[in-house]
Amino acid sequence: MDLHRIGVKWLARESTPLDLLDLIPVFHRWIQDSVLGDLLIDVAEYTHMHHGPGVLIIAHEGNYGYDETGGERGLLYYSKQPLPESDLASRLAHVARKGLKACVLFEREPGIGKHVSFPGDRLEVFANDRLLAPNTDEGWAEFLPAVKSLGARLFPNEDHRIERLNTDPRDRLTAVIRAATAPGAETLLARLS
Amino acid sequence: MPETVAREIDQYQQQIELKKQGKVEDKLFQEARLRRGVYGQRYDNGQRHDGVAQRELAFTRKELRKGPETLWDAPGMQRIKLTFGGLTPEQMEAHADIAEEYSDAVCHITTRQDIQLHYVHIDDTPDLMRRLAAVGITTREACGNAVRNVTACPKSGCCGTEAFDVTPYALACARFLLGHRDTQDFGRKFKVAFSGCRDQGCAYTGFHDLGYIAAVRPGADGKLQRGFSVYVGGGLGPVPYQASLLSEFTPEAEMLPIAQAVSRVYARHGEKKNRGRARIKFLVANWGIEKFRAEVEAERQKMPHEEAWISWLDQVPAWHEQALKPTGALSQNTEGNAGFQAWRETNAQPQKQAGYVIATIKLPLGDITSWQLRQLADISRRINSGHARTTVEQNILLRWVAEADLPELYRELQRIGLAEAGANTIQDVVSCPGTDTCKLGIASSRGLAATLSERLKEKAHTMDPDVRDLRINVSGCFNSCSQHQIADIGFYGVSRKIDNALVPHFRVVLGAHRENNAREFGQTFGPVPSKRIPEFIDRLTGFYLAERKPDERFPDFIQRLGKKGIKPLLDEFGQVPPRAVDRTLYSDWRDPREFSLSDIGTGECAGAVVSTTEFDLQAAEQLHFEAQVHLDEGDYRKADDTAYAAMVLAAKGLVYHENQDVPDRPDAIVAEFRLRFHDTGRFNAKNSPTRFAEYLFRRHEDHARSYSVEAARRVLEETQLFVEAAYACYVRVTNQLPDGPADGQSQSAAPENV
Repeated sequence: MDLHRIGVKWLARESTPLDLLDLIPVFHRWIQDSVLGDLLIDVAEYTHMHHGPGVLIIAHEGNYGYDETGGERGLLYYSKQPLPESDLASRLAHVARKGLKACVLFEREPGIGKHVSFPGDRLEVFANDRLLAPNTDEGWAEFLPAVKSLGARLFPNEDHRIERLNTDPRDRLTAVIRAATAPGAETLLARLS
Repeated sequence: MPETVAREIDQYQQQIELKKQGKVEDKLFQEARLRRGVYGQRYDNGQRHDGVAQRELAFTRKELRKGPETLWDAPGMQRIKLTFGGLTPEQMEAHADIAEEYSDAVCHITTRQDIQLHYVHIDDTPDLMRRLAAVGITTREACGNAVRNVTACPKSGCCGTEAFDVTPYALACARFLLGHRDTQDFGRKFKVAFSGCRDQGCAYTGFHDLGYIAAVRPGADGKLQRGFSVYVGGGLGPVPYQASLLSEFTPEAEMLPIAQAVSRVYARHGEKKNRGRARIKFLVANWGIEKFRAEVEAERQKMPHEEAWISWLDQVPAWHEQALKPTGALSQNTEGNAGFQAWRETNAQPQKQAGYVIATIKLPLGDITSWQLRQLADISRRINSGHARTTVEQNILLRWVAEADLPELYRELQRIGLAEAGANTIQDVVSCPGTDTCKLGIASSRGLAATLSERLKEKAHTMDPDVRDLRINVSGCFNSCSQHQIADIGFYGVSRKIDNALVPHFRVVLGAHRENNAREFGQTFGPVPSKRIPEFIDRLTGFYLAERKPDERFPDFIQRLGKKGIKPLLDEFGQVPPRAVDRTLYSDWRDPREFSLSDIGTGECAGAVVSTTEFDLQAAEQLHFEAQVHLDEGDYRKADDTAYAAMVLAAKGLVYHENQDVPDRPDAIVAEFRLRFHDTGRFNAKNSPTRFAEYLFRRHEDHARSYSVEAARRVLEETQLFVEAAYACYVRVTNQLPDGPADGQSQSAAPENV
């Protein structure tokens, strides 16, 4: 499976509900300061939408967003350009790492970080390419080993389980990783680095 | 997917590859991609003001461009045509998929019933197009100097005021004009609309380049005959023009010939050099409708017959939409459900077919997520047999909903966050993309529209009905993409320099009459600072309620007061305090960066004027390339024939530059080429060999050709020289080089009014 379009969403925990409009100046500042490493282009805002993409930073390599899809908020990163790694497991780790880096920045952000955290006990990993990775049993069988590898790197000593989100062939092939503990974004980033 | 469509997309992909190899010039590639709906987007010149300074976006492939000053890797917009706004469940699902995979999981409905995706990489566009083509959708001619999406009243077939259902006519027109030879040489875009009736304001033929209003009259046999009142030369833009009546009644069989004749007159006589005067509205205004009508009628008489003019007519009676369920009154007690009642009041409208309703799904800013679209596909299949249409108000209509199913539909829409009431009221604000993504945007139309919509939604339940039913449209600049001239309260973005800094403003446009297909555009008033517009609307609507005469409608109120009467209100809100006092007015809605105009780029709305000949010559080059591939693969026979086809195509480009009525057959084209270009000596420059034309003649006349690798290799070399000579000839005959035709017999194709 020569998959390059990959997304990872790190589910968030909000102690008080975050007003998504507050993210707009934060993301603009991240662009000014080039804090994410990617070629950051602009901020896209969809706060008017129900369970939408929220607020995004559009980058050349992929998009970063504080996403509301499925009614659950989380930090989503999905790649759009070919990834440098040769194997799928390494590519998943690459994408997961980029998202985690944004999670760590998010938690450190004054005014927002104290209300929002990324426990790291749940993430969704999806193939954003139905032509290469359809949501079928065969697609899942090919995808799963790489997801397991990612799970093992993220949670080497912790119980965790991997499930297929759903079997609707119209949806993206998506794995959910749930861990028994919540190591936090910084720890997980260190494990992947 | 039809083979021709697959081949077209393959060719587009080949153009992409050739562009990457540096074999296609920027201007030509730009127009080629625009004609595939692949549009530029803000910052695609690689420059962006980040609020501190202008910064370069450091794409690695800076030398690779997809148009003049447009970087290859910069994200762009993909426009997708939905003829008459028709959208099936399968098409919804396809859009949902491509939006997730190639865009940002959001589909945006436009004011021309299109769908747009933003932040798309050009390398992804061929696959995106194939996936759309698989469900019967094309992006062809969605942008560029071409016939844009053919729009129609979204209630066609269900509306009580229509003469007849215009849907099959809009479809026939779109199919006929798409890629038609006579629509390829326009100086600007060309927009067509169909309305089922004269009186309402749904399809707005009054501001279209070509508008058809359904009409019936008794025929010679006493039976009612279908036809159209035809209007031409309307348009919005910075200076709006009302369309003129071209024909009071054109029978249905003449609908397409008239469109073709108008296209030919526009292509031949429309402005090509001055882009600001190139829309057909300027030609009609310049000539007057009488002269324009005479030209069209003369053109109609001499056009060679086309079978396609009437071949579709026998399918019209078969066009109908089947309701999924039998009719029935509301079966459940819904009296106590205030949310449902409010939604029903504004979002559900009875059809002319008793027991059925059209339900409007109000989309915030015209946006719908991939997930919602997929869910909506399921809902539509289950409830109304999949009959959906997009609207120019950026909403989606579900037609043929049995009245008894309304509560279920409401519940389902609630589940997916699309059950908001207030469709087509003051809170249903229409907006173009503005500075969010448009290269021409001056101010944040979406930011303002979102803010207004939220504020007005909160007040809706206490609003006077006459205010509640007003419409607001917001454009990011004067180009009218939100159609602000037909709003009760319209805005378009401008800027003002205050305290040595720029402040975003919107000019106010008030008092349009939307009825009668937009019979009267709004008047433009002064600018108001962007951040003060919500207060301005409160003041304006309050003023209207306080000062109106009994039963006086808002447009009439504005007309009565005139500019003098409204000016004091504008003056109240025109003041901008110094930055030291209030910085908030110096940035735009939902964008904290200091307001700047430095991000404005060169618009691609028009693209460059690229003639049909240039496209043919480029296609000939492409065929030559394909021939080379066939030879490399050992298929010398196919290589030979393909090379020959390339020469014929290059000759055709030149011939059609002067005479579009030559039949599209090699014999006819070669004969005409010989007559016009070889025999006159025009094909050869003064100092170039004369044999290049002979390459074509020799290969064309070789009916008993003996195919071989050597022969194929030779004809490939000759083809390359012939195509080069054709390019040079085209440059000479269009006087783009000082070395003019050898014999001075060039028939210039320059428009008469240039």
